[in-house]
Amino acid sequence: MKSIAACAATLLSLISPIVTADTNVAVPSVSKVTLPATFKPPQVFKNANLVHVISLEKNFAKEQINVVVENDSKEPQDEYFLPFTSQQMERVGGFEVKDRKDSSLTGFVVEAVEYDPLSDTQYYRIRLPAPLPPKAQQTIGISFHYLQALTPLPAAIEQTDKQYLVYSFSAYCPSIYTTVKQKTEVKLPGSDIPEYTKIAGSGDVKEFPQKSGAKLTYGPFPEVPAGAVSPVKVRYEFTKPVSHVTLLERDVEVSHWGGNIAFEERYTLYNQGANLSTLFNRVKWAQSQYFNPTSYALKEMKFPLRIGSTDAYFTDAIGNVSTSRFRSNKKEASLEIKPRYPIFGGWKYPFTIGWNADAKYFLRQKTGDSYILNIPFLEGPKQPEGFGYEQVQVRVLLPEGADNVKFHTSIPKSSITDVVVDQQKTYLDTIGRTVLTIKARNLHDDFRDRDLIISYDYTIAASLRKPLVVFGSMLSLFVGIWLLSKVDVKLSSK
Amino acid sequence: MAVATASDPSPIQVLADFGKSKSLRTLLRVLILCFIAGAAVSSRLFSVIRFESIIHEFDPWFNFRATKYLVANGFYDFWDWFDDRTWHPLGRVTGGTLYPGLMVTSGAIYHALRAMTIPVDIRNISGLLAAAFMGITPGYISRSVAGSYDNEAIAIFLLVFTFYLWIKALKLGSVLWGALCALFYGYMVASWGGYAFITCLVPLHAFVLICMGRYSTRLYVSYTTWYALGTLASMQIPFVGFLPVRTSEHMPALGIFGFLQLVAFIYYIRSALSGAQFKAFLFVGLGAVFGLALLALVAMTSAGYIAPWSGRFYSLWDTGYAKIHIPIIASVSEHQPTAWPAFFFDLNMLIWLFPAGVYLCFQDLKDEHVFVVVYALFGSYFAGVMVRLMLTLTPIVPPKAKDPEQEDVADISSKKTKQSAGSLRSANSPYVGVYSFLSKGLVSGIMTIYLLLFVLHCTWVTSNAYSSPSVVLASRMPDGSQHIIDDYREAYQWLRQNTKEDAKIMSWWDYGYQIGGMADRPTLVDNNTWNNTHIATVGKAMSSSEEVSYPIMRQHEVDYVLVVFGGLLGYSGDDINKFLWMVRIAEGIWPDEVSERKFFTPRGEYRVDGEATETMKNSLMYKMSYYNYHTLFPPGQAQDRVRGVRLPDTGPVLNTLDEAFTSENWIIRIYKVKDLDNVGRDHAAAASFERGHKKKKATKKRGPRALRVD
Repeated sequence: MKSIAACAATLLSLISPIVTADTNVAVPSVSKVTLPATFKPPQVFKNANLVHVISLEKNFAKEQINVVVENDSKEPQDEYFLPFTSQQMERVGGFEVKDRKDSSLTGFVVEAVEYDPLSDTQYYRIRLPAPLPPKAQQTIGISFHYLQALTPLPAAIEQTDKQYLVYSFSAYCPSIYTTVKQKTEVKLPGSDIPEYTKIAGSGDVKEFPQKSGAKLTYGPFPEVPAGAVSPVKVRYEFTKPVSHVTLLERDVEVSHWGGNIAFEERYTLYNQGANLSTLFNRVKWAQSQYFNPTSYALKEMKFPLRIGSTDAYFTDAIGNVSTSRFRSNKKEASLEIKPRYPIFGGWKYPFTIGWNADAKYFLRQKTGDSYILNIPFLEGPKQPEGFGYEQVQVRVLLPEGADNVKFHTSIPKSSITDVVVDQQKTYLDTIGRTVLTIKARNLHDDFRDRDLIISYDYTIAASLRKPLVVFGSMLSLFVGIWLLSKVDVKLSSK
Repeated sequence: MAVATASDPSPIQVLADFGKSKSLRTLLRVLILCFIAGAAVSSRLFSVIRFESIIHEFDPWFNFRATKYLVANGFYDFWDWFDDRTWHPLGRVTGGTLYPGLMVTSGAIYHALRAMTIPVDIRNISGLLAAAFMGITPGYISRSVAGSYDNEAIAIFLLVFTFYLWIKALKLGSVLWGALCALFYGYMVASWGGYAFITCLVPLHAFVLICMGRYSTRLYVSYTTWYALGTLASMQIPFVGFLPVRTSEHMPALGIFGFLQLVAFIYYIRSALSGAQFKAFLFVGLGAVFGLALLALVAMTSAGYIAPWSGRFYSLWDTGYAKIHIPIIASVSEHQPTAWPAFFFDLNMLIWLFPAGVYLCFQDLKDEHVFVVVYALFGSYFAGVMVRLMLTLTPIVPPKAKDPEQEDVADISSKKTKQSAGSLRSANSPYVGVYSFLSKGLVSGIMTIYLLLFVLHCTWVTSNAYSSPSVVLASRMPDGSQHIIDDYREAYQWLRQNTKEDAKIMSWWDYGYQIGGMADRPTLVDNNTWNNTHIATVGKAMSSSEEVSYPIMRQHEVDYVLVVFGGLLGYSGDDINKFLWMVRIAEGIWPDEVSERKFFTPRGEYRVDGEATETMKNSLMYKMSYYNYHTLFPPGQAQDRVRGVRLPDTGPVLNTLDEAFTSENWIIRIYKVKDLDNVGRDHAAAASFERGHKKKKATKKRGPRALRVD
């Protein structure tokens, strides 16, 4: 408990510079920088050495670019641009930049740069914490991922077949700067890789890629000019569900009176894997469950919740789903759910889960009237094959009358698309509860348990509002009835 | 109801002493009523506790869907609602063919709560609305447990309340109470088709009163007020419309209305004329009027202005009528005659307390007691004829049964009350009664035991028999924990999520409302059985061979066919067991094409195993039920657990349908109707090609070559 408090206190100090929202003021936190349509990033850097790691172990493509950048110009520079196609731009997410040599160095600002929405090339701009002097080098690690970038091939398979996915990328890491030396590594979930594009080798290697187990390596390549690409494809076995949530709505309702925090999450879940080539066969399914349980159908999801969670439920559009298990004890709280039917490729299953938690685990009084709430931004299922979210909408319902709302989150800032603070009326509210809505896009389950820290003011007067309103309205009701009973409406008084 | 009065004699003694003060008595009464209400509501929550907050059975799903529509689109749109997602391709004029009382009530509650900013789901209202009305007799509970979002939920409350207002109006002869009675009658009409029960019972009561020579101006005032206003109110419901003046069911009320005018007129004449003149007038005038009225009625019936009795009504007199003439009505289990055990199951010891209550009514026969006796008689009869009408009986039994008990308790509790109250028994025989302490204790002890037993029975029945929501089945795991079999919702949810928004589902009509509500897909037929031919069409498609069914399904743009199969689990309410009704209904329209006899073996058995008739084996229903089923078992051991038979080793072959989904326990099986073949073959040929058989040479016998001579 003490450590949590200490942690919260340090994080609180972080909040102040990142004040993003004030009551009743909608502040768009995404700074999409708009540039003139003729914009062309200046050729001021050179990639001295670059290692591009593409990891396809999960059902999304995770990319890591470790690059030694060198200032090639005469002046100090601090803006490094990374190109994406407009198609990639829609699917890229979780953009994070670190200094590989000095992990304590923070302050990289990543922004999507918008200059011509119709152009096929778009940019992410990385602003270095300090301008790089001429000829100086800095080693930075850029990581991001693409959702929905993996396509099944063949697109329709039998119920018990293996599923193969295809990923297309460039053997040369896309860059707008000259790259002196680079290589691209592809990590795959297994060694069953029936097809991959072979390209001419360089140096003493005749042909790329070099395959070792579940890993393909393209390169090292000699100097490559700016903007060069070499499209390659890899097709590999992935007989696991390609779970994809198009919209996750996560509601967190804070109750000071009840000392309770209620979570509810509504998922619109799809399996983007291969479709069934023949329709679902129950006999085959029952048999395969017995003999060979690996399947590309999603059968089960496991939600590790915070310790102390209670009253979990799992419902869908037509009521409670009885195939769920919830264990909550001092060591863990885990909700395991089974959808009503196995979710094959192309199938859809929207559902709702929810649970309660004691406020003491999340809520802390800072001083007098000001409170700090520390909750996970995302608490989706933890699946070994991964879980992608296209749209995430987190709504935190603070008590009625809470104001001066500020938040800080460790989710990459470039993923957040919208932040709104407004009011919503429920359960006998008079002015409505303060609601902080944060919208984010293209996240995946590696980002679960990233913090969302909210500070707000909530006075005692505000907390007494509801009992007083209820008391007052009941009183006026009784007085009204009493007064009415005193009114004499008889035509004649005998 | 009787629960609250049950307690030991000593507290009653104490209460009786206390009860002398009036305010205290009021307080006690309020408290007891509160307890009754609490018991009533909580007993209805058994289903929520044992299962979940879910809507039960079939009809409630329609009511739920209609309420959602009402809340979403407002009242006027609801009134004009044409539903194109049912009865494809005909559609249904839903707004004009339903009883809107329930939906409007819950819509109003919904909006009221919303106005108080209490966020409530329409599902919660529909779930709990039922629980908010009336006592704990099992017979009624069957229709009002939480989740049973049916018209009866509010209708029985309205029924009883209308009767209460009627008696109040009759007692006081008051226009105000009569008008209130008419108002609630209107509400009742808006809520349930069973309003005809009031429409017939009230005139009957009036008639009996007149026959007993108990005519009074009070009767005149209350009846005419009720009839005039009530009929107008009932005609506001589009579904009822002009029925009150055009159908035979409503004629008694109109007839008694006229008769009352006549009687009133006669009474007036009698006060003005001398005896002899009056007698002559009476014979001539009355005879003429009666004859004329009868003639007019017959003429108008034959001319078609007044519809004759409807089939459903006939089946109330002749329980065999429906089976012969309208199988669709007979096929509903609710419309079957009640089995004897059901009475004991539902009413328990009220059965013998009930006649005692009726007897006590005769002891002190006032106008309202006549009503109760009439009600009791008719209620018992109807309950015997149709299971569904057990409902109308239940409200009257507890109050009646309560009477003798009260009498007993009153006897024991205080002699003083007995004497001073001047009740009939004590007045006639002041020395007969229970006086010794021993007998007092004995009788009250026995009574208490009876009452406790009754409560026990009611609780047991409620929690076990009437609280299961039929959509889910409960079973026990080996370790004793409850396991829910949820196949219906599994399949409905699959349909909802993984088929086209406008995919037409063909199933037997029982599941129409559920598919509409849970799967949200258009259906061909549903539980609103308004078009017998359409239902027969589905019956024909199910009971014919594939070659006949396929064109029918194509014509109706069917995308999926849903059948219920209980063979794996031993679930007896499946489609094979209902199959004969489909056959019968189809036979009613196409006697040449479908024949019930052909589904029975020559020995007259209804079989599904290897011995089944060819017609049975070729029927679409049989094929869909058993398709692929044998592959689940080792060879030679395929078993149907409902019918307890071993099935043949080779399963049926389906050419025109593909299995699309089968639920975990095989209860629901969904088939996709194949599209036309790409190269124009018929499906049997295409399927046989797929299976790798050689195409059979066209066995067209060529005649000997003949020389063409012009």
